[in-house]
Amino acid sequence: MLPQRSRLSVLVFLIPPLALYGIAVLLPIFQSLYLSFFDWDGISPMLFVGIDNYVHMFTGDAVFWIAFRNTLGYVVICLILQLGGALIVASLLTLLRRGREVVKTLYILPAVISTVAIAFLFQRIYSLDPEGLINQVLEFVGLGHLQQAWLSDVSTVLAAVSVPEGWRFTGLYMLIIYAALLAVPTELEEAAKLDGASWWQTFWRIRFPYIRPVWITTTIIATTNALRGFDIPYLLTNGGPGQSSELLTTYMYKTAFTSTNYGYASTISVFVVVECLAAVGLIFLLLRRKADA
Amino acid sequence: MTLTASRTTSPTAPERRQKPPRKPLNLQGKITGIIVTLIVIVQVYPLAWLFITSLRTEKDFAGGNPFALPTTVTFDNYARAFATGNLGLNILNSFIVTVGSIVVIVFLGMMGAYALQVLGFRFSKLVRALFLIGIIVPVQVALVPLFVDYAAVNLLDTYQSIIIPLAGFALPTSIYLFSSFYEYIPGEIYEAASLDGAGPYRIFAQITLPLSVNTMVTVAMVNSIFIWNDFIFANTFVLTDDLKTIPLGLQNYIGAMGKIDWTATFAAVCVSITPLLLVFLVLNKAMTYSLASGATKG
Repeated sequence: MLPQRSRLSVLVFLIPPLALYGIAVLLPIFQSLYLSFFDWDGISPMLFVGIDNYVHMFTGDAVFWIAFRNTLGYVVICLILQLGGALIVASLLTLLRRGREVVKTLYILPAVISTVAIAFLFQRIYSLDPEGLINQVLEFVGLGHLQQAWLSDVSTVLAAVSVPEGWRFTGLYMLIIYAALLAVPTELEEAAKLDGASWWQTFWRIRFPYIRPVWITTTIIATTNALRGFDIPYLLTNGGPGQSSELLTTYMYKTAFTSTNYGYASTISVFVVVECLAAVGLIFLLLRRKADA
Repeated sequence: MTLTASRTTSPTAPERRQKPPRKPLNLQGKITGIIVTLIVIVQVYPLAWLFITSLRTEKDFAGGNPFALPTTVTFDNYARAFATGNLGLNILNSFIVTVGSIVVIVFLGMMGAYALQVLGFRFSKLVRALFLIGIIVPVQVALVPLFVDYAAVNLLDTYQSIIIPLAGFALPTSIYLFSSFYEYIPGEIYEAASLDGAGPYRIFAQITLPLSVNTMVTVAMVNSIFIWNDFIFANTFVLTDDLKTIPLGLQNYIGAMGKIDWTATFAAVCVSITPLLLVFLVLNKAMTYSLASGATKG
């Protein structure tokens, strides 16, 4: 702390950032909470309906539950691709003698591309007519009978909209985990090897526990990012066909800006916020407890 | 576009480097090299394919083998891309929004961190916790309230309407990055400055700010990627063509009845990602470092 600070100087420095943050983040959270108790289309007078929106959401809205299930599926696929892929590639990278920088740069490249560009790209990669990249490759390697329209089949569409999101950010998480792996002291691993530990044992008993704090942080970031996933499903399928790739975020967006039902959209927003906070708490509890055990 | 042409060949570069074996017995190293190369090829191939396609003729694209190189290289797609859309204006708008947001994020982040970390005050822990919320909470929660608020104060369809939420949601990470750097500035520096009669404003301007340059660069780079590519805020708050940023401009390429001129669209996509890609490749090392540190501290 500065010895000569005045109360005024604290305010001068604190007020501008706090004001922007208040207007852009804090106030909207409270407004959402407030709006969630109303029936409002943005034009006619607001109608107070108490907890009706919440009752409808939990008991009377099948789409909400479909979207919730899809969101969980989306998160799981993203996490497997992002964290699993990141851990594998980062581990392999530590074994590599040369070319690490090139691999890092190339691997993170998709993170630089906008979601709209990615949506265009994957729309074309998945398409059947005209034959897209995946279907062309399937035919090329003689698996032509597996060809299909990945985005219009209800059984593949959720995975199809999740994969681009997983692909996009796996490089980012790889960088983080790679940096953590490099920090593992080599003496520890060498001692374990001398004691006859296999590569696998060294990995699970020494490396992984050592990077656990970073792993927890990365899991939290990846989960909250996946829970707010919106762009790619919205742009690729707009939740369709039917509701088979509808996420809570796309459902909220459509409720707000297509059906102009601001009240109910805010109710869904509030749920998404609670869900994110709950997810972060849960990850913390689960991964922390394992560390203590 | 010479850069993009060379880009497409680069996925094989690590493989080539692996081939001359120094230690013939190092089988494990060799296998690792091959596996990593394969993974990198799968990771980068969609992008390479995007660039190659933007150089193909439509006919070549329609009947194509996915691995074949284009029979003839054409730049017609780029000409059509510029003729169809408003790419120049879109890039300018993206540039304005990105620079505007970054300036706000960097300066307000620095001020917030200075108040929290250097000046310090009684409720600073509470304020920090308050900023933590912004990292966890999804941005979609702000859409409806901000839309309503903007409509009330006539801010819809302005640059500010996109900059405010983009900067607001990025501010917490920025504050944490600056704070964790300010932790390491030794207190003696501040004490000496105070003894010389410098007040909090002069200390900020003459000591803290000049020392923060590295962190400023980190914060700017981390955020530039996400802001340049922002879709959701621009899509919600921009209503006219004049203010469309690049992600929105690209959507114009979906023609009537969903018919898409694919090769021209891919050319437009290439144009839209080139500025950021150039920055990324030039500042490669600093950028990867920034991304990793920005994400973990967040």
